[in-house]
Amino acid sequence: MHSLAGIIYDFLVARFGRSDLLDPLFGLAGYLIPCFVVLGVVSTISGLLTYFERKVSADIQNRIGPNRVGPYGIFQFVVDGIKLFLKEDIIPDAADKFLFRLAPYIVFSSTILAAIVIPFGGPFIIADLNIGLIFIIVVSSLVVVGFLMSGWASNNKWALLGGIRSAAQIISYEIPAAFSLLTVVLIAGTFSMQEIVMKQGPWPWNWFLFHNPFTFIAFFIFVISGLAEINRLPFDFPEAESELVSGYNTEYSGMRFGVFFLAEFANIFVSASIAAAVFLGGGNIGLDPYKSGIVYQLLMVLVFFAKVLTLCLVTIWVRWSLPRLRIDQMMSMCWKYFIPISFSCLGLTAVWLLIFNGNGIFWRISG
Amino acid sequence: MTNEGVRYFKNIREAILTTAKGMKITLKYWVKEPAITIEYPDRLGKGRTAEDLVSERYRGFLKLDPSKCIGCLQCMRACPIDCILIKVEKIGEERYLTRFDVDQSKCMYCGLCVEVCPTGAITFSKRFEGACYDIGELCIKHLQEPVSVARPKAKKKEE
Repeated sequence: MHSLAGIIYDFLVARFGRSDLLDPLFGLAGYLIPCFVVLGVVSTISGLLTYFERKVSADIQNRIGPNRVGPYGIFQFVVDGIKLFLKEDIIPDAADKFLFRLAPYIVFSSTILAAIVIPFGGPFIIADLNIGLIFIIVVSSLVVVGFLMSGWASNNKWALLGGIRSAAQIISYEIPAAFSLLTVVLIAGTFSMQEIVMKQGPWPWNWFLFHNPFTFIAFFIFVISGLAEINRLPFDFPEAESELVSGYNTEYSGMRFGVFFLAEFANIFVSASIAAAVFLGGGNIGLDPYKSGIVYQLLMVLVFFAKVLTLCLVTIWVRWSLPRLRIDQMMSMCWKYFIPISFSCLGLTAVWLLIFNGNGIFWRISG
Repeated sequence: MTNEGVRYFKNIREAILTTAKGMKITLKYWVKEPAITIEYPDRLGKGRTAEDLVSERYRGFLKLDPSKCIGCLQCMRACPIDCILIKVEKIGEERYLTRFDVDQSKCMYCGLCVEVCPTGAITFSKRFEGACYDIGELCIKHLQEPVSVARPKAKKKEE
Protein backbone atom coordinates (compact mmCIF):
# COMPACT_ATOMS: atom_id res chain seq x y z
CA MET A 1 0.00 0.00 0.00
CA HIS A 2 2.83 2.36 0.85
CA SER A 3 4.10 2.73 -2.67
CA LEU A 4 3.67 4.82 -5.76
CA ALA A 5 1.15 2.33 -7.17
CA GLY A 6 -0.91 2.56 -3.99
CA ILE A 7 -0.78 6.35 -3.95
CA ILE A 8 -1.95 6.62 -7.57
CA TYR A 9 -4.69 4.06 -6.91
CA ASP A 10 -5.93 6.05 -3.92
CA PHE A 11 -5.84 9.25 -5.94
CA LEU A 12 -7.87 7.72 -8.78
CA VAL A 13 -10.45 6.27 -6.38
CA ALA A 14 -10.83 9.65 -4.66
CA ARG A 15 -11.16 11.41 -8.01
CA PHE A 16 -13.57 9.12 -9.87
CA GLY A 17 -15.29 7.30 -7.04
CA ARG A 18 -15.13 3.61 -6.19
CA SER A 19 -16.90 1.20 -8.51
CA ASP A 20 -16.48 -2.48 -9.33
CA LEU A 21 -16.21 -1.73 -13.04
CA LEU A 22 -13.33 0.73 -12.82
CA ASP A 23 -11.50 -0.82 -9.89
CA PRO A 24 -9.22 -3.18 -11.89
CA LEU A 25 -8.55 -0.31 -14.30
CA PHE A 26 -7.37 1.88 -11.43
CA GLY A 27 -5.13 -0.86 -10.14
CA LEU A 28 -3.64 -1.36 -13.60
CA ALA A 29 -3.10 2.37 -14.09
CA GLY A 30 -1.52 2.60 -10.64
CA TYR A 31 1.15 0.10 -11.65
CA LEU A 32 1.55 0.96 -15.34
CA ILE A 33 2.06 4.73 -15.03
CA PRO A 34 5.01 4.55 -12.59
CA CYS A 35 6.41 1.60 -14.56
CA PHE A 36 6.56 3.63 -17.74
CA VAL A 37 7.96 6.62 -15.87
CA VAL A 38 10.68 4.48 -14.31
CA LEU A 39 11.42 2.85 -17.68
CA GLY A 40 11.96 6.29 -19.14
CA VAL A 41 14.01 7.47 -16.19
CA VAL A 42 16.23 4.39 -16.13
CA SER A 43 16.78 4.52 -19.90
CA THR A 44 17.73 8.19 -19.71
CA ILE A 45 20.06 7.55 -16.81
CA SER A 46 21.74 4.67 -18.59
CA GLY A 47 22.13 6.92 -21.62
CA LEU A 48 23.71 9.57 -19.43
CA LEU A 49 25.96 6.90 -17.92
CA THR A 50 27.38 6.12 -21.38
CA TYR A 51 28.20 9.83 -21.62
CA PHE A 52 29.80 9.83 -18.16
CA GLU A 53 31.70 6.69 -19.00
CA ARG A 54 33.23 8.30 -22.06
CA LYS A 55 33.90 11.56 -20.26
CA VAL A 56 35.50 9.92 -17.21
CA SER A 57 37.61 7.61 -19.33
CA ALA A 58 38.73 10.65 -21.31
CA ASP A 59 39.64 12.51 -18.13
CA ILE A 60 41.60 9.54 -16.82
CA GLN A 61 43.50 9.21 -20.08
CA ASN A 62 44.12 12.97 -20.41
CA ARG A 63 41.74 13.25 -23.34
CA ILE A 64 38.70 15.50 -23.80
CA GLY A 65 35.94 13.05 -24.70
CA PRO A 66 32.70 13.90 -26.49
CA ASN A 67 32.32 17.68 -26.67
CA ARG A 68 30.58 18.43 -29.95
CA VAL A 69 26.87 17.69 -29.42
CA GLY A 70 25.34 20.20 -27.06
CA PRO A 71 27.12 21.86 -24.13
CA TYR A 72 30.07 19.65 -23.12
CA GLY A 73 28.72 16.98 -25.49
CA ILE A 74 25.91 16.07 -23.12
CA PHE A 75 23.57 15.00 -25.95
CA GLN A 76 26.07 12.57 -27.41
CA PHE A 77 24.05 9.59 -26.17
CA VAL A 78 20.91 10.84 -27.96
CA VAL A 79 22.80 11.07 -31.22
CA ASP A 80 24.28 7.61 -30.65
CA GLY A 81 20.77 6.25 -30.12
CA ILE A 82 19.53 7.87 -33.34
CA LYS A 83 22.50 6.42 -35.18
CA LEU A 84 21.71 2.92 -33.87
CA PHE A 85 18.08 3.31 -34.96
CA LEU A 86 19.14 4.17 -38.49
CA LYS A 87 21.56 1.28 -38.81
CA GLU A 88 20.64 -1.81 -40.77
CA ASP A 89 19.28 -4.59 -38.62
CA ILE A 90 21.01 -7.80 -39.66
CA ILE A 91 19.93 -11.28 -38.61
CA PRO A 92 22.37 -14.01 -39.69
CA ASP A 93 20.95 -16.70 -41.98
CA ALA A 94 22.09 -19.52 -39.71
CA ALA A 95 20.69 -17.90 -36.57
CA ASP A 96 17.69 -19.17 -34.67
CA LYS A 97 15.56 -16.22 -35.66
CA PHE A 98 12.95 -16.33 -32.93
CA LEU A 99 15.41 -16.64 -30.04
CA PHE A 100 17.72 -14.14 -31.70
CA ARG A 101 14.97 -11.54 -31.74
CA LEU A 102 13.75 -12.37 -28.25
CA ALA A 103 17.06 -12.33 -26.36
CA PRO A 104 17.74 -8.55 -26.10
CA TYR A 105 14.31 -7.92 -24.64
CA ILE A 106 14.74 -10.61 -21.99
CA VAL A 107 18.05 -9.07 -20.95
CA PHE A 108 16.61 -5.56 -20.86
CA SER A 109 13.38 -6.46 -19.11
CA SER A 110 15.12 -8.46 -16.39
CA THR A 111 17.21 -5.40 -15.70
CA ILE A 112 14.22 -3.08 -15.61
CA LEU A 113 12.20 -5.51 -13.48
CA ALA A 114 14.67 -5.00 -10.64
CA ALA A 115 13.86 -1.28 -10.79
CA ILE A 116 10.32 -2.08 -9.58
CA VAL A 117 11.42 -2.55 -5.99
CA ILE A 118 14.12 0.11 -5.89
CA PRO A 119 13.17 2.88 -3.46
CA PHE A 120 14.00 6.09 -5.30
CA GLY A 121 13.68 8.04 -2.08
CA GLY A 122 10.53 9.22 -0.38
CA PRO A 123 7.37 7.43 -1.48
CA PHE A 124 8.80 6.85 -4.96
CA ILE A 125 8.87 3.07 -5.18
CA ILE A 126 6.66 1.31 -7.69
CA ALA A 127 5.75 -1.64 -5.52
CA ASP A 128 7.05 -2.13 -2.00
CA LEU A 129 7.04 -5.93 -2.12
CA ASN A 130 7.59 -7.63 1.21
CA ILE A 131 10.06 -9.94 -0.56
CA GLY A 132 11.78 -7.02 -2.33
CA LEU A 133 15.38 -8.10 -1.81
CA ILE A 134 14.71 -11.68 -2.87
CA PHE A 135 12.84 -10.36 -5.89
CA ILE A 136 15.94 -8.41 -6.94
CA ILE A 137 18.21 -11.44 -6.52
CA VAL A 138 15.86 -13.66 -8.52
CA VAL A 139 15.16 -11.18 -11.28
CA SER A 140 18.79 -10.20 -11.79
CA SER A 141 19.76 -13.82 -12.37
CA LEU A 142 17.17 -13.95 -15.15
CA VAL A 143 19.68 -12.05 -17.28
CA VAL A 144 21.57 -15.31 -17.75
CA VAL A 145 18.69 -16.70 -19.81
CA GLY A 146 18.90 -13.77 -22.20
CA PHE A 147 22.68 -13.96 -22.50
CA LEU A 148 22.72 -17.71 -23.12
CA MET A 149 19.82 -17.33 -25.56
CA SER A 150 21.58 -14.66 -27.58
CA GLY A 151 24.83 -16.60 -27.53
CA TRP A 152 23.19 -19.82 -28.68
CA ALA A 153 20.86 -18.27 -31.24
CA SER A 154 23.64 -16.32 -32.95
CA ASN A 155 25.17 -19.61 -34.16
CA ASN A 156 28.61 -18.13 -33.72
CA LYS A 157 31.37 -19.63 -31.63
CA TRP A 158 32.43 -16.33 -30.04
CA ALA A 159 28.87 -15.53 -29.12
CA LEU A 160 28.31 -18.99 -27.67
CA LEU A 161 31.51 -18.80 -25.62
CA GLY A 162 30.47 -15.40 -24.37
CA GLY A 163 27.05 -16.67 -23.39
CA ILE A 164 28.47 -19.66 -21.56
CA ARG A 165 31.04 -17.55 -19.76
CA SER A 166 28.40 -15.08 -18.66
CA ALA A 167 26.24 -17.92 -17.36
CA ALA A 168 29.15 -19.36 -15.37
CA GLN A 169 30.13 -15.96 -14.04
CA ILE A 170 26.71 -14.64 -13.11
CA ILE A 171 25.61 -17.85 -11.43
CA SER A 172 28.84 -17.99 -9.40
CA TYR A 173 28.68 -14.38 -8.28
CA GLU A 174 24.99 -14.58 -7.39
CA ILE A 175 25.97 -16.46 -4.24
CA PRO A 176 28.30 -13.93 -2.55
CA ALA A 177 26.00 -11.09 -3.65
CA ALA A 178 22.98 -12.77 -2.08
CA PHE A 179 24.90 -13.64 1.11
CA SER A 180 26.13 -10.10 1.56
CA LEU A 181 22.61 -8.74 1.10
CA LEU A 182 21.38 -11.25 3.66
CA THR A 183 23.66 -9.79 6.35
CA VAL A 184 21.58 -6.62 6.10
CA VAL A 185 18.37 -8.62 6.22
CA LEU A 186 19.56 -10.10 9.53
CA ILE A 187 19.88 -6.61 11.00
CA ALA A 188 16.77 -5.08 9.45
CA GLY A 189 14.59 -8.14 9.93
CA THR A 190 12.73 -7.51 6.69
CA PHE A 191 13.07 -8.08 2.95
CA SER A 192 11.11 -4.98 2.00
CA MET A 193 13.40 -2.40 0.40
CA GLN A 194 11.49 0.60 1.73
CA GLU A 195 11.63 -0.69 5.30
CA ILE A 196 15.35 -1.43 4.97
CA VAL A 197 15.87 2.19 3.97
CA MET A 198 13.62 3.46 6.78
CA LYS A 199 15.54 1.44 9.39
CA GLN A 200 18.69 3.35 8.53
CA GLY A 201 19.32 7.00 9.25
CA PRO A 202 20.52 10.12 7.48
CA TRP A 203 24.06 10.06 8.87
CA PRO A 204 26.86 7.67 7.91
CA TRP A 205 26.88 6.08 11.38
CA ASN A 206 23.22 5.18 10.92
CA TRP A 207 23.92 3.33 7.71
CA PHE A 208 24.11 -0.45 7.62
CA LEU A 209 27.54 -0.02 6.03
CA PHE A 210 28.95 1.01 9.42
CA HIS A 211 26.64 -1.12 11.53
CA ASN A 212 29.42 -3.56 12.29
CA PRO A 213 32.72 -4.59 10.65
CA PHE A 214 31.10 -7.51 8.86
CA THR A 215 28.51 -5.45 7.02
CA PHE A 216 31.39 -3.18 6.02
CA ILE A 217 33.11 -6.15 4.37
CA ALA A 218 29.79 -7.37 2.97
CA PHE A 219 29.27 -4.02 1.24
CA PHE A 220 32.52 -4.34 -0.69
CA ILE A 221 31.81 -7.96 -1.52
CA PHE A 222 28.41 -6.93 -2.83
CA VAL A 223 29.83 -4.11 -4.93
CA ILE A 224 32.54 -6.31 -6.44
CA SER A 225 30.25 -9.24 -7.15
CA GLY A 226 27.80 -6.68 -8.53
CA LEU A 227 30.52 -5.67 -10.97
CA ALA A 228 30.85 -9.31 -11.94
CA GLU A 229 27.11 -9.78 -12.31
CA ILE A 230 26.74 -6.84 -14.66
CA ASN A 231 29.76 -7.94 -16.71
CA ARG A 232 31.81 -4.85 -16.01
CA LEU A 233 35.55 -4.74 -16.01
CA PRO A 234 37.53 -6.23 -14.36
CA PHE A 235 35.06 -9.08 -14.88
CA ASP A 236 33.96 -8.51 -18.47
CA PHE A 237 34.65 -12.07 -19.64
CA PRO A 238 31.38 -12.47 -21.54
CA GLU A 239 32.40 -9.74 -23.95
CA ALA A 240 36.17 -9.67 -23.57
CA GLU A 241 37.08 -7.69 -26.67
CA SER A 242 40.57 -9.11 -26.95
CA GLU A 243 39.43 -12.74 -26.63
CA LEU A 244 35.89 -13.01 -27.97
CA VAL A 245 35.08 -10.42 -30.62
CA SER A 246 32.29 -8.87 -28.63
CA GLY A 247 30.92 -11.90 -26.76
CA TYR A 248 27.26 -12.75 -26.80
CA ASN A 249 26.27 -9.68 -28.82
CA THR A 250 28.78 -10.23 -31.63
CA GLU A 251 26.11 -10.87 -34.26
CA TYR A 252 23.78 -8.10 -33.16
CA SER A 253 23.52 -4.83 -34.99
CA GLY A 254 21.32 -1.77 -35.05
CA MET A 255 18.84 -1.22 -32.28
CA ARG A 256 19.01 -4.82 -31.03
CA PHE A 257 22.61 -4.14 -30.12
CA GLY A 258 21.42 -0.83 -28.70
CA VAL A 259 19.06 -2.65 -26.36
CA PHE A 260 21.92 -4.82 -25.08
CA PHE A 261 24.01 -1.73 -24.60
CA LEU A 262 21.22 0.06 -22.77
CA ALA A 263 20.69 -2.98 -20.54
CA GLU A 264 24.37 -3.00 -19.68
CA PHE A 265 24.30 0.57 -18.46
CA ALA A 266 20.90 0.23 -16.81
CA ASN A 267 22.50 -2.65 -14.91
CA ILE A 268 25.15 -0.33 -13.52
CA PHE A 269 22.45 2.00 -12.28
CA VAL A 270 20.35 -0.80 -10.79
CA SER A 271 23.32 -2.40 -9.06
CA ALA A 272 24.48 0.95 -7.69
CA SER A 273 21.00 1.83 -6.44
CA ILE A 274 20.63 -1.51 -4.65
CA ALA A 275 23.95 -0.93 -2.91
CA ALA A 276 22.93 2.64 -2.07
CA ALA A 277 19.53 1.64 -0.72
CA VAL A 278 20.65 -1.40 1.25
CA PHE A 279 24.00 -0.28 2.65
CA LEU A 280 24.18 3.50 2.32
CA GLY A 281 20.79 4.50 3.69
CA GLY A 282 19.14 5.23 0.35
CA GLY A 283 17.11 8.41 0.37
CA ASN A 284 16.71 8.51 4.14
CA ILE A 285 16.98 12.02 5.59
CA GLY A 286 15.48 11.16 8.95
CA LEU A 287 11.89 12.00 8.06
CA ASP A 288 8.88 9.82 7.38
CA PRO A 289 8.82 9.35 3.58
CA TYR A 290 5.01 9.25 3.39
CA LYS A 291 3.95 12.04 5.74
CA SER A 292 6.49 14.77 5.04
CA GLY A 293 5.94 17.53 2.47
CA ILE A 294 6.72 17.29 -1.22
CA VAL A 295 9.88 19.40 -0.85
CA TYR A 296 11.35 16.94 1.65
CA GLN A 297 10.29 14.04 -0.53
CA LEU A 298 12.13 15.52 -3.49
CA LEU A 299 15.13 16.13 -1.23
CA MET A 300 15.07 12.41 -0.43
CA VAL A 301 15.14 11.62 -4.14
CA LEU A 302 18.08 13.99 -4.55
CA VAL A 303 19.99 12.35 -1.70
CA PHE A 304 19.33 8.93 -3.18
CA PHE A 305 20.50 9.92 -6.64
CA ALA A 306 23.61 11.60 -5.24
CA LYS A 307 24.60 8.33 -3.58
CA VAL A 308 23.77 6.30 -6.69
CA LEU A 309 25.69 8.62 -8.98
CA THR A 310 28.75 8.39 -6.73
CA LEU A 311 28.62 4.60 -6.86
CA CYS A 312 28.15 4.68 -10.65
CA LEU A 313 31.19 6.90 -11.02
CA VAL A 314 33.17 4.50 -8.84
CA THR A 315 32.07 1.66 -11.13
CA ILE A 316 33.29 3.57 -14.15
CA TRP A 317 36.49 4.56 -12.37
CA VAL A 318 37.20 0.90 -11.55
CA ARG A 319 36.69 -0.01 -15.17
CA TRP A 320 39.32 2.42 -16.38
CA SER A 321 41.82 1.47 -13.66
CA LEU A 322 41.96 -2.29 -13.50
CA PRO A 323 42.85 -4.82 -16.18
CA ARG A 324 40.71 -7.87 -16.85
CA LEU A 325 41.41 -10.88 -14.65
CA ARG A 326 42.17 -14.30 -16.03
CA ILE A 327 39.15 -16.59 -16.13
CA ASP A 328 40.57 -19.03 -13.56
CA GLN A 329 41.43 -16.10 -11.28
CA MET A 330 37.85 -14.89 -11.59
CA MET A 331 36.50 -18.29 -10.61
CA SER A 332 38.92 -18.81 -7.73
CA MET A 333 38.18 -15.29 -6.50
CA CYS A 334 34.52 -16.18 -6.27
CA TRP A 335 34.65 -19.71 -4.90
CA LYS A 336 37.78 -19.52 -2.73
CA TYR A 337 37.51 -15.98 -1.40
CA PHE A 338 34.14 -14.32 -1.79
CA ILE A 339 31.86 -17.18 -0.84
CA PRO A 340 33.74 -18.13 2.37
CA ILE A 341 34.16 -14.47 3.38
CA SER A 342 30.56 -13.51 2.71
CA PHE A 343 29.31 -16.64 4.45
CA SER A 344 31.41 -15.91 7.53
CA CYS A 345 30.19 -12.30 7.40
CA LEU A 346 26.65 -13.59 7.55
CA GLY A 347 27.40 -15.87 10.49
CA LEU A 348 29.47 -13.32 12.38
CA THR A 349 26.80 -10.66 11.95
CA ALA A 350 24.32 -13.04 13.54
CA VAL A 351 26.74 -13.60 16.44
CA TRP A 352 27.28 -9.83 16.74
CA LEU A 353 23.56 -9.20 16.92
CA LEU A 354 23.25 -11.84 19.66
CA ILE A 355 26.11 -10.44 21.73
CA PHE A 356 25.33 -6.72 21.37
CA ASN A 357 21.59 -7.14 21.52
CA GLY A 358 21.00 -6.00 17.94
CA ASN A 359 23.01 -2.79 18.28
CA GLY A 360 25.56 -1.52 15.84
CA ILE A 361 29.09 -0.32 16.48
CA PHE A 362 27.96 3.30 16.73
CA TRP A 363 24.79 2.58 18.69
CA ARG A 364 25.66 5.11 21.40
CA ILE A 365 25.93 7.95 18.88
CA SER A 366 22.93 6.95 16.84
CA GLY A 367 20.92 6.53 20.02
CA MET B 1 48.72 -21.82 10.59
CA THR B 2 49.80 -23.73 7.52
CA ASN B 3 51.64 -22.23 4.61
CA GLU B 4 48.51 -22.35 2.46
CA GLY B 5 46.51 -20.47 5.06
CA VAL B 6 49.10 -17.71 5.33
CA ARG B 7 49.15 -17.33 1.57
CA TYR B 8 45.36 -17.07 1.51
CA PHE B 9 45.35 -13.98 3.71
CA LYS B 10 48.42 -12.58 1.99
CA ASN B 11 46.55 -12.81 -1.31
CA ILE B 12 43.62 -10.86 0.10
CA ARG B 13 45.90 -8.17 1.49
CA GLU B 14 47.84 -7.91 -1.75
CA ALA B 15 44.66 -7.69 -3.82
CA ILE B 16 43.33 -4.82 -1.71
CA LEU B 17 46.62 -2.92 -1.65
CA THR B 18 47.40 -3.25 -5.36
CA THR B 19 43.86 -2.31 -6.33
CA ALA B 20 44.03 0.76 -4.10
CA LYS B 21 47.36 1.72 -5.61
CA GLY B 22 46.04 1.46 -9.18
CA MET B 23 42.89 3.37 -8.35
CA LYS B 24 44.94 6.12 -6.72
CA ILE B 25 46.94 6.62 -9.88
CA THR B 26 43.87 6.87 -12.11
CA LEU B 27 42.21 9.20 -9.60
CA LYS B 28 45.22 11.48 -9.82
CA TYR B 29 44.96 11.56 -13.59
CA TRP B 30 41.19 12.00 -13.43
CA VAL B 31 41.19 14.97 -11.05
CA LYS B 32 44.51 16.72 -11.53
CA GLU B 33 46.02 16.19 -14.94
CA PRO B 34 44.54 18.39 -17.70
CA ALA B 35 43.69 17.07 -21.14
CA ILE B 36 46.50 17.27 -23.65
CA THR B 37 44.36 16.70 -26.73
CA ILE B 38 44.70 19.14 -29.62
CA GLU B 39 41.31 19.52 -31.30
CA TYR B 40 42.92 19.54 -34.70
CA PRO B 41 40.89 20.91 -37.55
CA ASP B 42 38.52 23.51 -36.11
CA ARG B 43 39.27 24.23 -32.46
CA LEU B 44 42.97 24.93 -32.34
CA GLY B 45 42.55 28.02 -30.22
CA LYS B 46 42.79 31.67 -31.14
CA GLY B 47 45.24 32.54 -33.86
CA ARG B 48 46.64 29.03 -34.14
CA THR B 49 46.73 27.35 -37.51
CA ALA B 50 47.48 23.81 -38.52
CA GLU B 51 50.99 24.94 -39.60
CA ASP B 52 51.77 25.91 -36.00
CA LEU B 53 51.24 22.34 -34.83
CA VAL B 54 54.17 20.82 -36.69
CA SER B 55 57.79 21.06 -35.70
CA GLU B 56 60.30 23.62 -36.93
CA ARG B 57 61.94 21.44 -39.59
CA TYR B 58 58.78 19.69 -40.77
CA ARG B 59 58.84 18.44 -44.36
CA GLY B 60 55.59 19.66 -45.85
CA PHE B 61 54.73 20.72 -49.37
CA LEU B 62 57.58 22.14 -51.45
CA LYS B 63 57.65 25.94 -51.65
CA LEU B 64 59.26 28.04 -54.35
CA ASP B 65 60.64 31.55 -54.06
CA PRO B 66 60.69 32.68 -57.78
CA SER B 67 62.83 35.70 -57.03
CA LYS B 68 65.70 33.42 -56.00
CA CYS B 69 65.46 30.70 -58.65
CA ILE B 70 68.27 30.84 -61.19
CA GLY B 71 66.80 28.12 -63.39
CA CYS B 72 69.73 25.70 -63.03
CA LEU B 73 67.37 22.65 -63.11
CA GLN B 74 69.46 20.84 -60.47
CA CYS B 75 66.44 20.06 -58.37
CA MET B 76 64.70 18.55 -61.40
CA ARG B 77 67.66 16.28 -62.01
CA ALA B 78 68.11 15.39 -58.35
CA CYS B 79 64.51 14.31 -57.91
CA PRO B 80 64.47 10.48 -57.78
CA ILE B 81 60.86 10.22 -58.95
CA ASP B 82 60.73 13.10 -61.39
CA CYS B 83 57.97 15.03 -59.74
CA ILE B 84 59.47 18.44 -60.53
CA LEU B 85 59.06 19.88 -64.02
CA ILE B 86 60.81 23.15 -64.90
CA LYS B 87 60.91 24.91 -68.24
CA VAL B 88 63.32 27.77 -68.95
CA GLU B 89 62.90 29.70 -72.20
CA LYS B 90 65.04 32.35 -73.74
CA ILE B 91 63.16 35.38 -75.03
CA GLY B 92 65.60 37.85 -76.49
CA GLU B 93 68.54 38.17 -74.11
CA GLU B 94 66.54 37.34 -70.99
CA ARG B 95 66.00 33.82 -69.71
CA TYR B 96 62.53 33.26 -68.38
CA LEU B 97 61.11 30.58 -66.11
CA THR B 98 57.87 29.63 -67.82
CA ARG B 99 56.93 26.57 -65.84
CA PHE B 100 57.65 25.25 -62.36
CA ASP B 101 55.37 22.34 -61.47
CA VAL B 102 55.76 20.10 -58.43
CA ASP B 103 53.56 17.01 -58.33
CA GLN B 104 52.94 16.64 -54.59
CA SER B 105 51.02 13.41 -55.11
CA LYS B 106 54.26 11.75 -56.20
CA CYS B 107 56.69 13.60 -53.92
CA MET B 108 58.20 11.42 -51.21
CA TYR B 109 59.65 14.35 -49.22
CA CYS B 110 63.23 13.07 -49.47
CA GLY B 111 64.58 16.61 -49.50
CA LEU B 112 67.21 16.05 -52.22
CA CYS B 113 65.95 19.05 -54.23
CA VAL B 114 66.15 21.30 -51.20
CA GLU B 115 69.69 20.14 -50.45
CA VAL B 116 70.88 20.63 -53.98
CA CYS B 117 69.40 24.09 -54.61
CA PRO B 118 72.30 26.61 -54.69
CA THR B 119 70.20 29.67 -53.84
CA GLY B 120 67.65 28.21 -51.47
CA ALA B 121 64.78 28.93 -53.81
CA ILE B 122 63.03 25.61 -53.22
CA THR B 123 62.32 24.81 -49.58
CA PHE B 124 59.92 22.81 -47.48
CA SER B 125 56.83 24.62 -46.22
CA LYS B 126 54.87 23.44 -43.19
CA ARG B 127 51.70 22.79 -45.15
CA PHE B 128 50.56 19.17 -44.84
CA GLU B 129 46.84 19.15 -45.53
CA GLY B 130 46.74 17.77 -49.06
CA ALA B 131 43.28 16.20 -49.13
CA CYS B 132 41.40 16.99 -52.34
CA TYR B 133 38.83 15.48 -54.68
CA ASP B 134 41.04 15.12 -57.75
CA ILE B 135 44.63 13.94 -57.78
CA GLY B 136 45.41 16.56 -60.43
CA GLU B 137 44.88 19.29 -57.86
CA LEU B 138 48.01 18.09 -56.09
CA CYS B 139 50.18 18.94 -59.11
CA ILE B 140 50.98 22.45 -57.97
CA LYS B 141 51.89 25.05 -60.58
CA HIS B 142 54.09 27.53 -58.81
CA LEU B 143 54.27 30.00 -61.69
CA GLN B 144 51.21 31.54 -63.27
CA GLU B 145 53.18 33.78 -65.69
CA PRO B 146 56.79 33.77 -66.94
CA VAL B 147 59.30 35.19 -64.49
CA SER B 148 62.79 36.21 -65.41
CA VAL B 149 65.39 34.10 -63.70
CA ALA B 150 67.35 35.56 -60.86
CA ARG B 151 70.89 36.62 -61.59
CA PRO B 152 72.58 37.31 -58.28
CA LYS B 153 76.05 37.90 -59.80
CA ALA B 154 74.76 40.36 -62.42
CA LYS B 155 72.89 42.26 -59.74
CA LYS B 156 76.08 42.68 -57.76
CA LYS B 157 77.79 44.25 -60.74
CA GLU B 158 75.04 46.82 -61.18
CA GLU B 159 75.42 47.91 -57.61
